[in-house]
Amino acid sequence: MEPRIGVYVCHCGSNIAGTVDVAEVSRFAGDLDAVKVTRDYKFMCSEPGQNLIKDDIRELGLNRVVVASCSPALHEPTFRRVCQEAGVNPYLFQMANIREQCSWVTEDHNGATRKAKALVGAAVNRVYYHQPLEIRQVPINPNTLVVGGGIAGIQAALKIADAGHKVYLVERTPSIGGHMAQLDKTFPTLDCSACILTPKMTLVSRHPNIELLAYSEVEDVSGFIGNFKVKIRKKARYVDINKCNGCTECENACPVEVPSEFNLGLSKRKAIYRPFHQAVPNIFTIHKRGAPPCRTACPAGVDAQGYVALISKGKYKEALEVFRRTQPFAGVCGRVCTHPCEADCERGKVDEPIAIRYLKRFMADYELKAGREKAVKVKQTQQEKVAVIGSGPAGLACAYDLIRLGYPITVFEAAPEAGGLMRYAIPEYRLPRKILDNEISYIQELGVEIHTNTRVDSFKGVFDKGYKAIFMGTGAGISQKMGIPNEDVDGVVHSLDFLRKVRLGEDVKVGKRVAVIGGGNAAVDAARTARRLGAEEVTIVYRRSRAEMPALYAEVEEGLREGIKIQILAAPVAVLAEQGRLSGIQCIRMQLGEPDESKRRRPMPIKGSEFNIPVDNVIIAIGQIVDRTLLTRDLEYTSFGTVSVDPTTFHTNIEGVFAGGDVISGPDDVISAIEAGKEAAISIDHYLKGIDLKGGRPVRPERVKNVPKENIVKKARKIMPVLELDKREGFAEVETGFSEEMAVEEAQRCLNCGVCSECWECVKSCERGAIDHGMKDEIVEAVVGGIIVATGYEMFKPRGIYEYGYGRFDNVLTALEFERIVNSAGPTEGHVHLKDGSELKNIAIIHCVGSRDKNYHEYCSRVCCMYSLKLGHLVREHVPGAKVYEFYIDVRAFGKGFEEFYNRITREGTTFIEARPSGVTNVAETPQEEGKLIVHYEEEIHPGIPRRLPVDMVVLSTAMEPQEDVKNVCRLFNINQSADGFFLERHPKLDPIATATDGVFVIGCCQGPKDIPDTVAQASAAAAEVLSLIGQGNIDIEAATAFIDEKICSGCQICRIVCPYSAIDFIEEGGVCRVNEVLCKGCGACVGGCFSNSISLKHFTGEQLVAEMENMLI
Amino acid sequence: MKQNTEEQPRIVGFLCKWCSYAGADLAGTSRKKYPSNLTVLKVPCSGRIDPLFVLKGLRLGFDGVLVSGCHPGDCHYQTGNYRARRRIVVTKKFLEYLGVPEQRVQASWVSASEGAKFAQVVEDVVENVRAVGPNNLFSDEG
Repeated sequence: MEPRIGVYVCHCGSNIAGTVDVAEVSRFAGDLDAVKVTRDYKFMCSEPGQNLIKDDIRELGLNRVVVASCSPALHEPTFRRVCQEAGVNPYLFQMANIREQCSWVTEDHNGATRKAKALVGAAVNRVYYHQPLEIRQVPINPNTLVVGGGIAGIQAALKIADAGHKVYLVERTPSIGGHMAQLDKTFPTLDCSACILTPKMTLVSRHPNIELLAYSEVEDVSGFIGNFKVKIRKKARYVDINKCNGCTECENACPVEVPSEFNLGLSKRKAIYRPFHQAVPNIFTIHKRGAPPCRTACPAGVDAQGYVALISKGKYKEALEVFRRTQPFAGVCGRVCTHPCEADCERGKVDEPIAIRYLKRFMADYELKAGREKAVKVKQTQQEKVAVIGSGPAGLACAYDLIRLGYPITVFEAAPEAGGLMRYAIPEYRLPRKILDNEISYIQELGVEIHTNTRVDSFKGVFDKGYKAIFMGTGAGISQKMGIPNEDVDGVVHSLDFLRKVRLGEDVKVGKRVAVIGGGNAAVDAARTARRLGAEEVTIVYRRSRAEMPALYAEVEEGLREGIKIQILAAPVAVLAEQGRLSGIQCIRMQLGEPDESKRRRPMPIKGSEFNIPVDNVIIAIGQIVDRTLLTRDLEYTSFGTVSVDPTTFHTNIEGVFAGGDVISGPDDVISAIEAGKEAAISIDHYLKGIDLKGGRPVRPERVKNVPKENIVKKARKIMPVLELDKREGFAEVETGFSEEMAVEEAQRCLNCGVCSECWECVKSCERGAIDHGMKDEIVEAVVGGIIVATGYEMFKPRGIYEYGYGRFDNVLTALEFERIVNSAGPTEGHVHLKDGSELKNIAIIHCVGSRDKNYHEYCSRVCCMYSLKLGHLVREHVPGAKVYEFYIDVRAFGKGFEEFYNRITREGTTFIEARPSGVTNVAETPQEEGKLIVHYEEEIHPGIPRRLPVDMVVLSTAMEPQEDVKNVCRLFNINQSADGFFLERHPKLDPIATATDGVFVIGCCQGPKDIPDTVAQASAAAAEVLSLIGQGNIDIEAATAFIDEKICSGCQICRIVCPYSAIDFIEEGGVCRVNEVLCKGCGACVGGCFSNSISLKHFTGEQLVAEMENMLI
Repeated sequence: MKQNTEEQPRIVGFLCKWCSYAGADLAGTSRKKYPSNLTVLKVPCSGRIDPLFVLKGLRLGFDGVLVSGCHPGDCHYQTGNYRARRRIVVTKKFLEYLGVPEQRVQASWVSASEGAKFAQVVEDVVENVRAVGPNNLFSDEG
């Protein structure tokens, strides 16, 4: 059919005609090919304008139409419908945008007219090649997704649900209610916010058509209007929603306190919490932010946050229970652990790390002092006997874990008493034997049998006795030699032998002068022990500097206080002997070179710097090695001389034999040995049950990131009290331990990094068994026809405006914070007073903080004027006689009842000052200003005169701003942002809640700042939009999809790689590709990727676009 | 030879309908002013812009071609603008081989909220293309 084109040029009043010569454009179009009629008219979109087109189609037989007017985003649907109504396929229409992209962007009349002609010419040439397209219809799914459970989402959900359609209401926090739930009163009527909101919240929870998905987030959206597929992540609450009845027992039991989000940090909440009393759903949620660093840093994975939190609440017994879930040595580790937990403690980034080790010691000592109850013997549930060789920390930790799994365990120890190096290498003054004895007996009470004085000679012998698995924790017991002359002379001893003999109570004699070689704990222990045995001059000789000494810092410090000397940067080169008797030691000075493999700087001798130290004894403490002669020769060793094991399973090369501790690592600390014992216990359990050793092992939890550190008052770490020097007689314990008050106070410094500390007190407290710490996130999938986004806003954070003093002065608050303070369910139960509790006499409220300010947000937040007046009113209601000063730029009282409200507040006696204050300080210049905050300002009507107003409190009326993650929400739902960052509506006037994506609506403050009535109105409007959609039953969808000419297609399938929607199938039969029109979104990316040029995009074909381009050059 | 005149340079712009075309509309609704040298074609996605369109534009006699889409990562069709970005790089390489000044083909990423940016982009593109003079690549004299 030969194209017969009609061209219509719109004046749009003077919007187009004021700049573009529309008559000229119309004349020009008349001369173009196939154009049968051209007209210009005042408003083409009006009824008479539309009729012009319809009449011409009927009377002149037009079969193609071009309208030159505004943006197609606005009226393309209008004119397409006009065409359709007059019998022309809507795709045989083209629009030339001569307003937004022509008349409005230039003042050059000639240029604008020329450009308009080019655009019209292009449109005419393009429409010439248009093809009629079939509009496809798809059924609309009658379900709706509402995202955001504030008043907007609640209202929309209720309206749609009332109409009989299913609604998924998704809210990311544990309760619906949004910001409105935080408000005290609402302006201008002063209704109680909770009174009008909570009934609606309850309706939501009871509504049969609403599926409330609180504590959930939308993860993925695909599909299109009428058929969106959404994936919703239902975050684990760790509380069974069906069992919890909101009784608050768990909340009382929980020891962890963190700032309450609902009260904006003005009060604390527990780790298991309900944001506020009327929360919907009215159930508890456990907040887990991640594993606390103290727990992830601990080699054994001890839940330090758990016991620290319980200590802070005085629950010492429960604290110790938490500790014993992981390992039995609280008293030992509380004294000798190298505490990697403290090194990673987040509190250390604020001031000093929590004294975790001392707290651990405190709870162990507390139990011992109070008298420990005998442990209950573990019921034996497994038949396979396990043997543990060596009763050091590795062996006992392994035995401890296995006995609790129900295995019968026997520990074989060659020495007369159990404990390994804990007993024989750590001196009494650091680790009293009663502590170790207590903890070993605890293990024995559980059912572990320990045979001391029993040396094991071969694995075979053990297996022959019926043991099914062996853990070998025999340690590294041979002292390393120095390799210098006279090393074996009388008077030279090895630290391990020395300390062991002292521990065994043998009569050990030392001379007056003793040198100890080495810088580790064994050296310091030996030095301090020698001192206690009567040596007058004890010198530690260490080849690197003090900073590199591996010994615990506090131990070295105490040693120095006890009179020990340290010769740093010195290494022995020979032991001096006269007539076979030790007389001294020759050393050489060292200097530090480049760092070595241990990342410590390598010591290098300085030539000719030898010097002598006269001594009576030398104690060598430079490390130990594994005794390879103890057991079978079949055992494989590493090149370091340690037993070779699999790094994950701790399995040796001998079937059923596992090893851990110093025997595999060389000399290391207690906690690492415990880790090895525990890991081996897991392997042995797997081994005996015949499961894969590597599979199914517990996964180390991920360390928490981003621990908030705002508003933390610095507080020094408690210092461990020590025995006075003159009281250190014999081997009395030097560190005396925390008092109860010290422990509680120290524990309260904990930042609760992981929030939930997993102490399980809540589990114990819940009678209904509703708590499950192992709960996992769930994914809910749903299909919906329409989506309403009501994700709300955030309050502007005024910390950035330094001059207003927020965060620096106690009594500078944000309006929302003040709203919580005046609320009777708020942090002060509605009592308005200053931070220190003193009386409030006057208050300044500063408007437009963050709004109407080029530095922050240029827009007006629309609610601040009224809420500021309301807060002023509430101040006077709570504190009669208080003076209120409102600092304003303009008072914008534009809404219904606003002006009347303004008048009322004025009459009440609030003082209005037209000024934007320049700052708030606390520097008094007069006695009246003493102790006050001073607002600095210049009045608008008296510019140039700086004024000062002393007040007790300053409230900042902060702006509303888009949510922090607004960009992610944009991407998720395919919404755009307007310049202010809020969501962009399709048309600011005529389509204020729709978005560029059909079927997605934006309501409430996520679309822009607004008050509650406007929000509710929008929500109802969105419900109407959705219901109108559902009522249509079917919906037209884009016909402009890609099309493959199968005659040309080479079947290379590159288009299938390009297509982001997997909308192209490869047809085996014929070897060609074919577009699935239902899935195709019409982006056209495949077209440019097609080598054989066999793909075209309907309505955007190459022919059409090139034709359009050609005529642009007219 | 064509000379620089007031009408010159003539530039054709390919704008994706979700971001850049909407951004251009916003420039209009907020009455930002920019030169009239650019005429615009609307495409569903910058991924639809065939390199051949760019060449065809220059062949037809446009002095410059502007390609504009959503910001990388913000494509309405997930990845279309990444394809556009790669294709434009290749096209420019090809044009460089032909001796066409690179200023003739320009790409920019303009979102629906960046009306002011769009006006600035047009200013810049017009200035850059004007600087390399009229396109005589395919004129009869050339």
